[in-house]
Amino acid sequence: MAAEPTQPDTDRRAAEEQILRTDGLVKKFGQFVATDRVDLTVERGEFRSIIGPNGAGKTTLFNLVTGALPVTEGEIYFDGEEITGLSPSERVRRGMGRSFQISNVFGGLTVRENVRLAAQSIDRDEYNALEALFKPTDRYDGMNERTDAALERIGLADVAEEQADALAYGDKRRLEIGVVLATDPDLVLFDEPTAGMSAEETQETIDLIEEVLVDQTLLLIEHDIELVMELSDRITVLNRGEILAEGTPEEIAANEDVQDAYLGGMIE
Amino acid sequence: MTMVEGLLQALVDGLTIGIVYVLLAAGLSVIFGVMNVINFAHGELFALGAYFALALVGPFGGYGFFAALLVAPLLVGLIGVGIERYTVQPLYGRNPLYHILLTFGLVLVINDLIYLVWGPGNVSLAVPAVLSGTVTAFGLNASVYNLFIIAFGAAMALAVWALLEYTKYGLIVRAGSQDRQMVRNLGIDIDRYYSLVFGVGAALAAVAGIILGGYQTVSPEMGMSVIIPAFVIVVLGGLGSFKGAVVGGLAVGIIQTLLRTYAPILEGMVIFLLMIAVLLVRPHGLFGSEAPEGEGGGDLLTGSGGVLEAETRRRLGLAAVGLLALVPLGAGTLYSTYAVTLMVEILIWGLFALSLDFVMGYTGLVSLGHALFYALGAYAVAISLAHVGGSAFVAIGLAILLSAAIAWFVGYLSIRVSGVYFAMITLAFAELFYNLLFRLEITGGSEGLFGLSAYYGLAGVGISLEEIAIFVGPVALTGQSLFYYIALATLVGAFLLTRRMLESPFGAVLKSIRENEQRATFVGYETTVYKRRAFVISGALAGLAGGLFTLNAGYATPSFAYWLHSGEVIVMVILGGMGTLYGPIIGSGVFFGLEEVLTEFTERWRLVLGTVFVLFVIFLPQGLVSLPAQLEPYLGGSGPGPEPEPEPEPTPEDSSVRGDD
Repeated sequence: MAAEPTQPDTDRRAAEEQILRTDGLVKKFGQFVATDRVDLTVERGEFRSIIGPNGAGKTTLFNLVTGALPVTEGEIYFDGEEITGLSPSERVRRGMGRSFQISNVFGGLTVRENVRLAAQSIDRDEYNALEALFKPTDRYDGMNERTDAALERIGLADVAEEQADALAYGDKRRLEIGVVLATDPDLVLFDEPTAGMSAEETQETIDLIEEVLVDQTLLLIEHDIELVMELSDRITVLNRGEILAEGTPEEIAANEDVQDAYLGGMIE
Repeated sequence: MTMVEGLLQALVDGLTIGIVYVLLAAGLSVIFGVMNVINFAHGELFALGAYFALALVGPFGGYGFFAALLVAPLLVGLIGVGIERYTVQPLYGRNPLYHILLTFGLVLVINDLIYLVWGPGNVSLAVPAVLSGTVTAFGLNASVYNLFIIAFGAAMALAVWALLEYTKYGLIVRAGSQDRQMVRNLGIDIDRYYSLVFGVGAALAAVAGIILGGYQTVSPEMGMSVIIPAFVIVVLGGLGSFKGAVVGGLAVGIIQTLLRTYAPILEGMVIFLLMIAVLLVRPHGLFGSEAPEGEGGGDLLTGSGGVLEAETRRRLGLAAVGLLALVPLGAGTLYSTYAVTLMVEILIWGLFALSLDFVMGYTGLVSLGHALFYALGAYAVAISLAHVGGSAFVAIGLAILLSAAIAWFVGYLSIRVSGVYFAMITLAFAELFYNLLFRLEITGGSEGLFGLSAYYGLAGVGISLEEIAIFVGPVALTGQSLFYYIALATLVGAFLLTRRMLESPFGAVLKSIRENEQRATFVGYETTVYKRRAFVISGALAGLAGGLFTLNAGYATPSFAYWLHSGEVIVMVILGGMGTLYGPIIGSGVFFGLEEVLTEFTERWRLVLGTVFVLFVIFLPQGLVSLPAQLEPYLGGSGPGPEPEPEPEPTPEDSSVRGDD
């Protein structure tokens, strides 16, 4: 009797701590099963990485979570609500930010316009239908304040009027992260943010992510195992679409299944 | 003849036309599959084949036909190789929509060349005696030529299929259509195969042209009349699919012929409805692959950014409007009153081009059927004036509402498909409406509606422009001159309105979609919703343009909705500079200016226009407005600034152009 009422309570607390949960997620491409009954839980404030050999289904899982691909079976919960059928843009508005690799900013627009687009997206209370059509963007105080704040935070305030295309390599990356930041995300998903970078560039990027997005929950897909070991609170290892192991970096490093999968799945 | 015999007869005829379509569509489809090129000029290559055959049959007669069947396709194939090498090739890597624009320019060029060399009118292509006569079997009359077409066409199609399926070349071509980069990585110079594929496609079109020429007649319009059905077939079957081209070609040939026999009222509409339906259910066609290969590769090049300083632009704009306001004052004294008529046309088409730019230049949606909205506006005004009352305001209001509503509907159905498919589906809607106009009573059938007049006012109270005169000094402004100011004010108003919208949150999202649609989605925007809104605004403005035209001219005809109209307005947008709003207005001025100047020399002015356009697409895709920036390095950058309306640079130097008849 006494134990009964506390059970749902702890469940609810657990649910509140979970920012993202997938239940039996399956994605099939024809006969090919790219994601196989994945149950993933990410807690609020955590830095989680997903690793796995080539073809393990990391990117597919990522696309399912962000809504870029429809799921075959299973459900996705974000912040306690089911989002399985929602469009990618709706997920972004609910606080799921997605970062791309570098060149994915609006190159023909200015730095400020890039960031403001993100701020504008989540601040739709600030304008009605008519204003949205006819009131120039520079006349919305709230939106512009948030834009300025994000620009300060990523350190691009002094190049705000430059075209994004004209930015230096490192600054473009800052802008990319600034755009995500301005959508005010609770969870940020990164798809191999350091792919193709030198060791030095990788370090800069990681520093930037840690500096700017310190309050957010981060979910990272990475190839670079060493990097992940160093940064993550917890790591999920995927292999052939399934979760092979999950745990702290130490636990993962000691896991024999993981070692086998990596040796079998990819020649280093 | 019994019902069954009649049906069989229609089937044989349908099969004959179907085979011609198969040959035409196969080349079109394979060219798209391999190179991602939508070749609008395919119909003109088809016509060229027929004319070359005509030239060859002439001197040799009779059996010359067989020689022509061999030689003419070879010649057209060579022309195809040339086209690929010198015009299509420079555009690889750009958005596939540029190929649509380029080949549309080639349509104008080749079509006018045909007119120049062979003149207008229908000519019959003599068929050798062996192929004439009829065979009667099972109570069916089939001409020998019908059977020849079916057998020969089927053999050709089979040969192409075998070529694709069983030869090394075919393997490479098919591999290239799956994954071009992979084929390159294998060390194969796929670019060389492109020329070959284009050439073979052109030759197939030529064969189709010759056999159809022998079946019906040869005329300069034959290319234009088959190209749209050919597109329908390719889209139905699936862009890039050979099997799709065969099934689609036979189906469309048979359906068209059956409809002509049993339900002529539906002919010309059913195939477009079919195409729209297929695209909505299976966006990649019946046999097309799901993979959106190459889709959206490369950006549309807009004239925005770095084209003149904002302040310079504002001053030039004010100066231009000021100058334009003076035009009617000199009419009848400094120049003929015709100048005002011409300028009204430029302003109205400027508005039309601006409306297209709003979707094309800012969201990257290339509408190949924008004439639909222009014609809707025109007919709404015409019907309103004829049946509702003479009020210009009511008529224009209806025009805007109707075209906005239809734009919403078309946008709702078609914006879910992107790129080339969107272009095709809008084309289908416009052609559907074009065919509808001929058949409806309320639109006056092929004659259209004419003899309409309007007053400016409401509920019967108002004035007619003809009845009043406004005196400016010694000059009396009346009729056309007053309308000129209405058109000018509307255009300026529409420009300011759209520009304002682009500075708003809505416009910011449109620009982000143009820059990077995927990223816009992941910033949190439902991009299809924004594109649809932009499309509605654009449709409404196009309707306003068409409405103004009819209000002034007092008539509306089905030709307003013809696909060439849609093509012409795209030409204006590109000539002037896409994504600038003012560029397309300049484009309209240059377009009609060119026409005006060139028609004095030759009736075939589109040849020059097409050439200029092709050069623009290749060398100056950002349009005239980018000319100052382009020329700056050569002029030392210290020039006092360009004139407000620069005349087009490339004056036609080719001596072939001067073939005045």
